[in-house]
Amino acid sequence: MTYIIYIIVQIMIMLLLAPLINGIIKKIKAFTQKRTGPPILQMYYDLFKLIRKNSVVSEASSWIYKAAPYIVFSTSLTAALLVPVTIKLVPSFNISGDFVIFVSILALGRFFMMAAGLDTGSTFGGMGSSREAMISSLAEPSILVCLFTAGLIAGSTSLDQMMMFMQAKGQGIILMNPAIILLFLALLTIIIMETARIPIDDPSTHLELTMVHEAMILEYSGRHLALMEYGAAIKQLIFITLLVNLLLPHDQFIGAAGLGGILISLLIYFLKVIVITVVIALIEINTVKLRLFSIPNLAALSFILSFLAFLQYFLLGGGYVQLI
Amino acid sequence: MIRNLISVFNNSIFSSEIKNENELYFEIDTDKVREICSYIHKSKDLPLVSMFASDERDLNGKYAIFYVFAERQQANLLILKTTIDPNRMEIPSISETIPAAASYEREIKDLFGIHPIGHPEPKRLVFHSNWPEGKHPLRKDYKLNERPKIAKEIIDFKRIEGKGVYEIPVGPVHAGIIEPGHFRFSVAGEPIINLEAQLYFVHKGIEKLSEGKSIENCLYISERISGDETFANSLCYCQAIEKIAKVKVPLRAQYTRIVFAELERLISHLGDLGGICLDTAYLFAAFHFRTLRGWAYLVADELCGMRFLRSINKLGGIRKDFVSGKEKSIIKQLRKIRDELDDTAKIIRSNSMFIDRVENTGVLTTRTARDLNAVGPGGRASGINHDVRKDFPYLVYDLLEFKVPYYQYGDVNCRMNVKLEECFESIDLIIKAIELMPAGKISETIPTLEPYSSAFGITESARGENIHFVMVGENNSVFRYKIRTPSFCNWPALCQAVRGNIVPDFPLINKSFNLSYAGNDL
Repeated sequence: MTYIIYIIVQIMIMLLLAPLINGIIKKIKAFTQKRTGPPILQMYYDLFKLIRKNSVVSEASSWIYKAAPYIVFSTSLTAALLVPVTIKLVPSFNISGDFVIFVSILALGRFFMMAAGLDTGSTFGGMGSSREAMISSLAEPSILVCLFTAGLIAGSTSLDQMMMFMQAKGQGIILMNPAIILLFLALLTIIIMETARIPIDDPSTHLELTMVHEAMILEYSGRHLALMEYGAAIKQLIFITLLVNLLLPHDQFIGAAGLGGILISLLIYFLKVIVITVVIALIEINTVKLRLFSIPNLAALSFILSFLAFLQYFLLGGGYVQLI
Repeated sequence: MIRNLISVFNNSIFSSEIKNENELYFEIDTDKVREICSYIHKSKDLPLVSMFASDERDLNGKYAIFYVFAERQQANLLILKTTIDPNRMEIPSISETIPAAASYEREIKDLFGIHPIGHPEPKRLVFHSNWPEGKHPLRKDYKLNERPKIAKEIIDFKRIEGKGVYEIPVGPVHAGIIEPGHFRFSVAGEPIINLEAQLYFVHKGIEKLSEGKSIENCLYISERISGDETFANSLCYCQAIEKIAKVKVPLRAQYTRIVFAELERLISHLGDLGGICLDTAYLFAAFHFRTLRGWAYLVADELCGMRFLRSINKLGGIRKDFVSGKEKSIIKQLRKIRDELDDTAKIIRSNSMFIDRVENTGVLTTRTARDLNAVGPGGRASGINHDVRKDFPYLVYDLLEFKVPYYQYGDVNCRMNVKLEECFESIDLIIKAIELMPAGKISETIPTLEPYSSAFGITESARGENIHFVMVGENNSVFRYKIRTPSFCNWPALCQAVRGNIVPDFPLINKSFNLSYAGNDL
């Protein structure tokens, strides 16, 4: 029973909250450009509009093109189940699946997105796929090292177990631990790489030749496009959730149990997500898109940060070290 | 110079004459074109700035080809004229020695059917595969309303073959709201090996259209050559007609023209700077430049009630005293733009990520720029320190003090800096012109022009050197109007500048040149 409630709450929150993140980022960016910008709820309207429309499918494409949006969307939702938005709701038994599964599920979706980009045989799709392959092959090692380090600290490979451990230990100021700070920065960089944000890719560009993510989904229309966009938005929220719940845990501060406790926990989670969203927007505003061949530098930075965190764990001895 | 040329090629020069004070005409032997041109280009180091044909069969039964060289230090134009017998439509190509001539010769081949013999790449330029062979619209016997049947000729792009080399076709329809142009990239992974641009999707036959029109009507055509160079083009046309008429434009009109010409440059450059920032996803700066551009548009609107500066020029002057009574308000607004621009320039120059993007991107070497006669900011960023306002002073530019910024290295950063500094110079020039503007008449009347006399108009538009040749016919009509916009010179330079860069940097390089499609396709 708790299992079902967990799944329902988890999916509902992801579905409802994900498009909001894009709306907030766009709004903040618009403010710095002296524009009013689209309404915060614009992406909901867009998705609603697109979902009611038919898709135009190229005759030259194969089943991969048609299957990809469903695969991308469902892999995003499946991965979302592995990253609890609140520990209060997690069923007493483990959620089956650890971070390796988590990364692989997302990789599956990405694989189909790249394949679909190639499938139509259009110029830009192929370019987008090849760039995405480069970026993801650079980003994935650092995600794995990052989560592996967190796993080492927590003594478990399951994401919810890691979160619980961080909560249990995080009575003090958790960010004062150097390993956690390093992991935090590494994960933040990964979020930007994974979600096609500005130093890597420009989500608002109209220039086909510079696109990465947009190039792969350039041929999509109607409900296929909606699923692709929705899938990407959910993936973005998953990574933000992972960051805030793993490295900035909050459930330990909530005394209340039961429904009240869950609601307070969700509220705090929501606020944390907004804060990270604002941080991402600020990064977007203050940076410029990197030259494509400079992206490995950013990926290397993220990898080094997570690897330092990994070394930190051995340097400071096993277990959790509180500096203050 | 003249004596030198005549003494070297004594037998091949039939006649020489000076027109309109600084246009030296030589009529030369067709067979010696190559020798004389390479002598002028190589030994005298004069760039070929324009080349065109004219159908003069009604006058003397022959076609004429004009080679225009600019002697920039002395502010002279050196024009070689040679005649072609209609029975032998051939001309020796000079592209081997003067690379800048390559596109002119292809243009002449398409529009007149005069074949350049020995041209390295004589494929079509103006027409695409749907235009039939043997139709040459600029010949006088081609009717303006003639619509040839759609043909299926074959035009190939340059093939680069090798392991891992593939082609990327882009355009003519692009994702943004921009003009049409087809780009064929040959790439190995991301680095670009070769870029071939197929333009002329918006070929409107402007030169044909203007033939036979009255000189007043043709002014409207000249204003519509390219949307954001309206004033520079109409000024260029007016200049040519005023030269033919030997009319001196009143001083007040000259100062007013400077105000508008510089305002147009300011608007255009602010747009380009915004574009450069937008293409690097530096959105804050991009929108700030757009705001400034909006303010500059407001100044234009206040001056003449038209943001695109049409219908300001009139043959012999300007239509109305646009500036009078608005001096204070205009100067105040311009100072505000200048202050904001100053701040924005400081911000973007201190953003290391942004500078990293624009530095070393799209380098146009001085050598290439010289060979292709790159003009305007594109040329000045590559160490070619030429500006028509200094070289061929028109209006009262020689009375006003201003700097022409130039850089050596030729990357996007240099082009951006040239444009940024020119913005400041333009604002200062407008303010000076408004302050120094004398009272008085604003236009002169144009008398009936002597048939078949001609002149060149040269102006510096925001994109660079703009050369219009006008030959009038009977009853104040236009006999031949040749427009050479700066975009025509800089498109080949752009194709050279992108080589070796990676595909995602192309939009940025393209934007740093910001060439006009309409102004090139005509």
